[in-house]
Amino acid sequence: MPIRRLFVANRGEIALRVVRAAQSLNIETVLGVSAADRDGLGAETADRTVALGPAPAGKSYLDTRLVVHAALATGCDAVHPGYGFLSERAEFAKLCEDEGLIFVGPRPETIDQVGDKLRARELAQRNGVPLVPGSPLLTDANDAADAADELGYPVVMKASAGGGGKGMFVARSRDEIAASFERASNEAQSAFGDGSLYLERYIETARHVEVQILGDGEGGVWHFGERDCSVQRRYQKVVEEAPCAAMPEAVRTKLHAAAVDLAAGVHYRNAGTVEFLYDVDRQDFHFIEVNARIQVEHPVTEMATGRDLVACQLRMAGGEDLGLSQNDICIDGHAIEVRINAEDPSHDFRPSPGRITGWRPPTGEHVRLDSHCTADSLIPPFYDSMIGKLIVYGDDRTQAVQRLQTALDAFEIEGIATNLPLQRFIAAHPDFAANRIDTRWLEQTGLPAFAQDEDS
Amino acid sequence: MTEKDKPAGLTADDINHLLEQFEASDWRELDLRVGDTHLFVSKDGQARGIDRGPSATPAPPSAAAASVPEPATAVPPAPAPQTAAGAPDHWVAVKAPNLGTFYRSPKPGAPPYVEEGQTVEADTEVCLIEVMKLFTPVTGGVAGTVRRICVSDGEMVEHDQPLLYIEPA
Repeated sequence: MPIRRLFVANRGEIALRVVRAAQSLNIETVLGVSAADRDGLGAETADRTVALGPAPAGKSYLDTRLVVHAALATGCDAVHPGYGFLSERAEFAKLCEDEGLIFVGPRPETIDQVGDKLRARELAQRNGVPLVPGSPLLTDANDAADAADELGYPVVMKASAGGGGKGMFVARSRDEIAASFERASNEAQSAFGDGSLYLERYIETARHVEVQILGDGEGGVWHFGERDCSVQRRYQKVVEEAPCAAMPEAVRTKLHAAAVDLAAGVHYRNAGTVEFLYDVDRQDFHFIEVNARIQVEHPVTEMATGRDLVACQLRMAGGEDLGLSQNDICIDGHAIEVRINAEDPSHDFRPSPGRITGWRPPTGEHVRLDSHCTADSLIPPFYDSMIGKLIVYGDDRTQAVQRLQTALDAFEIEGIATNLPLQRFIAAHPDFAANRIDTRWLEQTGLPAFAQDEDS
Repeated sequence: MTEKDKPAGLTADDINHLLEQFEASDWRELDLRVGDTHLFVSKDGQARGIDRGPSATPAPPSAAAASVPEPATAVPPAPAPQTAAGAPDHWVAVKAPNLGTFYRSPKPGAPPYVEEGQTVEADTEVCLIEVMKLFTPVTGGVAGTVRRICVSDGEMVEHDQPLLYIEPA
């Protein structure tokens, strides 16, 4: 049954994005906000806004029962969780469905299965998707050292329940294992309440590539091509592109097939992303994880395919047959997204919440801005620092990079510090223009060069 | 909060919000026209009110809101704007800690926790807020007399919405 009234269980740009997609499909929207988000473009745009609770996310956006209660009490028949917050909490998806609400996302069992990294690796293995050579769950530091000797150094220690780069430590020799194990285990325990670790071979020159998929829940899976998100800082994506221009066509075809096979193996429902590490030297890829949600960087795929992925999510969740054929989904041209964050790259990326006093974004037919901010928005200190995403499109990567440079130069934000200076520096860097980027480029080359440039 | 195609005006929510801010401010009067809505609020019993000349008869000592357009949407309207209206400055609002369902009694059929006019202590439970079958009692937080109960039994309330007013002893 098509969705009639949608509860949007998120904030910021993605809440606005979902509200607008719903409106384009004539779906009514109710936005649940915290006390800090009562005023803003999201609240103004949604048909109705309800205040869930106080500003801290634990008492508003992250309170599963509170959000479901709000959706039911406002007569909604579906919930879109956006990304972050409750989007990948299986118990939230389950509570929605138990209460008769359509959860716009994967089945709770799927979220559980792909959310646990070890189970996800087993799933990949079962479906013939290559993994980075790795160990089973480690019992202690000695076990870790033996496993590392077998894999060959360097190795990276990872949290079984992890994500967002937490609990990940590299060891380059047997001597470093004990210290890495302890630090990784402690960090995993405090971040996820679970200190279990495993080991993987560390790939020296890697690109982060990921495939956007959409599943009908019955084994039918379509892919929307890949994204390259190799410009990262502390495992956080900074710049995202579609497609991965550095990948040979033959590898790309295999990559897409691997993602589709994996998703089909769980009868994946709705939108998701299968993430891979691309080993540039070996021209080989390895499975990392599945993100069971719409992602921050989905707009580059939308720009390169001309498909509205959030609208697809809503239509599919409403039971519509999209009538898609894989051959209809074409990647055309090149899109680049940069994340605009309220943080100061000149001062160790310290968050800079506060009142925006000037907001003059670039415009143009090849420029898209996904943002909830306006000329007098207040950026609250309680949440993620992302205030928007600037996306440009070009016929090819060279043209897209040029348009990105022009758009970033024109973008003016006043009142708070942002990472715009860093994004301008990256866009203008010869390595970026020449696409000589890997997942460690920003930390090892980009940021030191940026700091030097600022000093001079 | 406004539906996108609706002519610019004030929703009940907007008015609630304005009234709260007005209450908290040291302003005496607020006269606001937005689209087809005209809102006039005054803390002064001798205020001129709406559509009355400067020399007209005194308005009642309560906030007056006029020509509030009905929300032209199928989404259920926000709770009636009866909350802050006309509560004297020294009354203390007991507000909802979070969104939930408001209940006046500890269980169905039981007498309400409190009635208007009843004397309460600071730790007296005055109502329940329910979130998915989890019932949390709300205490008044101040000793005094319950002067107004703003929400009806079983109604959805939002975070920070005034539930009732207590006149401190």
